[in-house]
Amino acid sequence: MPHPFKVHRSAEGDVSVLHLEGFLDAHTAPVFEQAIQAELDASRPRLIVDGEKLTYISSAGLGVFMGFIEQIREQGGDLKICGLSPKVRQIFEILGFQAIYDMVDTVPDAVQRFTTSPTREA
Amino acid sequence: MAHVSVSRLESLLESAQLLHASLDLDNLLKHLLRTVMGRLLVTRAVIAIDVGDGLRVAMARGVTDAPVGSRFDAARASALGLPQQMPIGLTPAVGLLATAPPARPIVDEEERGFFEALLGIAATGISNAHSHAQATRLNRDLDRKIQELRTLMELGRAFSRVSEVEEVARIFGLTLAGQWMATRYAIAVCRDTFGTVSRQQGVKLPPLSTYMDALHHLPEASLVSDLQDGDLRTLFEAHKLHVVFSLRSGEQVCGFAALGARPGGQTYASADLELGAGMAAQAVVAFDNCWHLREMLDKKQYEKELAVAAGIQQGLFPATLPDLDGFDVAAMNRPAQQVGGDYYDVLTLTDGVSPACLFCVADVSGKGLAASLLMSTIQATLRALLGREDSLAELACRTNELLFATTPGSKYATAALVMAHPATGECRYVSGGHTETLLLRASGERIWMGATGVPLGLFPGMTWEELSFTLGAGDVLVLYSDGVSEAQTAVFDEFGPERLADIVERERAQPASTIIDAIVAAIDAFVEGAPQFDDITLMVVKRT
Repeated sequence: MPHPFKVHRSAEGDVSVLHLEGFLDAHTAPVFEQAIQAELDASRPRLIVDGEKLTYISSAGLGVFMGFIEQIREQGGDLKICGLSPKVRQIFEILGFQAIYDMVDTVPDAVQRFTTSPTREA
Repeated sequence: MAHVSVSRLESLLESAQLLHASLDLDNLLKHLLRTVMGRLLVTRAVIAIDVGDGLRVAMARGVTDAPVGSRFDAARASALGLPQQMPIGLTPAVGLLATAPPARPIVDEEERGFFEALLGIAATGISNAHSHAQATRLNRDLDRKIQELRTLMELGRAFSRVSEVEEVARIFGLTLAGQWMATRYAIAVCRDTFGTVSRQQGVKLPPLSTYMDALHHLPEASLVSDLQDGDLRTLFEAHKLHVVFSLRSGEQVCGFAALGARPGGQTYASADLELGAGMAAQAVVAFDNCWHLREMLDKKQYEKELAVAAGIQQGLFPATLPDLDGFDVAAMNRPAQQVGGDYYDVLTLTDGVSPACLFCVADVSGKGLAASLLMSTIQATLRALLGREDSLAELACRTNELLFATTPGSKYATAALVMAHPATGECRYVSGGHTETLLLRASGERIWMGATGVPLGLFPGMTWEELSFTLGAGDVLVLYSDGVSEAQTAVFDEFGPERLADIVERERAQPASTIIDAIVAAIDAFVEGAPQFDDITLMVVKRT
């Protein structure tokens, strides 16, 4: 049975928030890719990925982040990650994602982070 | 301890609480240095700790020549002007604390006892902190291993649900990128019959075919900098790829996956190479499965097409031969494959004023669907032209031009055509490159009529000669394809035209259909079960 996965979008000023819900793996990754691509196509490179309702992420799911980050930062934006449950956050951390992504607790924290650190070196 | 004053006991208690409450080595050492430097009134001190490979500087204050991690011992301490040296812990010592000459030296036993106790407590704290750090490190390694196993399982699960090679490449690429946080990767894999599948992110490698040969010696997994093949190393380095995994089906390398740098200058360790090789092995199985599936589907599709072609072809052969006044005609065809390239037909027409019939045996180039389409073109052309041409030779010319114009140059047909008049037995004969036709006279004379021109449809503007003869009572005319005369045994002995003529001579009194049955039986007996390589087509015509 394929696991359900959804992306819901909201906005905080010029920052787009993508709320992930469910199981992000090789098969659901295209849904997430399309959501990010849509933001880039609309020239909105300031992104927050809210993983509060993300129940699982596989390496393929993490691969989506790697596929877009250079393009996002080249456009002067960034991708901040927030709201991860401890279980999901651990997967990010084992692979070292905190080294190149800002990972904070809440959406307001992430919005705040855009004012202090709008982008990072890719 | 009995000599230690109350104020010192209080200080020790405070230190013990501080030192044991923290598992953080850094905090612990800071506290130790503060206490010791405060009591001795010194501004320069070094703590060195032995974690298994000798004493090394763990923390220094006021000493610039003792970087953290550098080797340290009593001699070095003295050289740095740190003569006051105290072991941290006794059995065995976990470290050494060295300070400049104290402004307030240790003057009595009580003071010495205090320091021993303090350093003893510190030694326990340092050991605890080390054990904790080690446990944390082991836990992290374990978590990483668990995550790697999960990735392999996840990958297997993901691959099991796809049937397209492009999808396998997509999932493989995403997983590689996520596992090592790489923004650049390239995957290319090749299967002879299906071509190349390639997926790249942040990289534009030249086509796989340009360096496929160099891949044959690619190891299972390797850092690009360790590659033996200089050209390959240069290519991957030029595209900033740091590690490469070969995709191998059996012993044969059929492609590779390569990854760019990891963030923060992290390198690919041997555990990473192992994991990548495991992932590559899974990907190859998935690629193979997809290709296998595609092969099966292609084969099914091909079989379906063949069945359609066979159906078309069967429809081209006359279901029954027309009843002809004056002639007894029988014919048969047995294709070597499901769809063959031979064709025969018997058509009736009015040749000028008298009725006539056309006997035709043809062998078209190629096999399968293309051959049967060419065959239907020949049939349609013959039928359309029949009766409009003054001579059989002209019929051949017109057929040739039409075939040449409507088919690719490589497509052609050999054909033997006989126009016969039932009333008189007069026949005209044209052969476009076809195998010899046998006319067995009642007298027993064997007349072999060969080609009177080139095959039909091969060149434009050709002409054909026309032979004439009369088919008399007792004469037998045999048109056939080369599958008859060239029927072979397992050791390549050919049936041959004379053996054919022998059978016809023996059976000449029988009806045409019986003669055909006898020839077929003789061929089958001759080849002794060897597989049939070419279509067998026979037509026998007798006067009645």
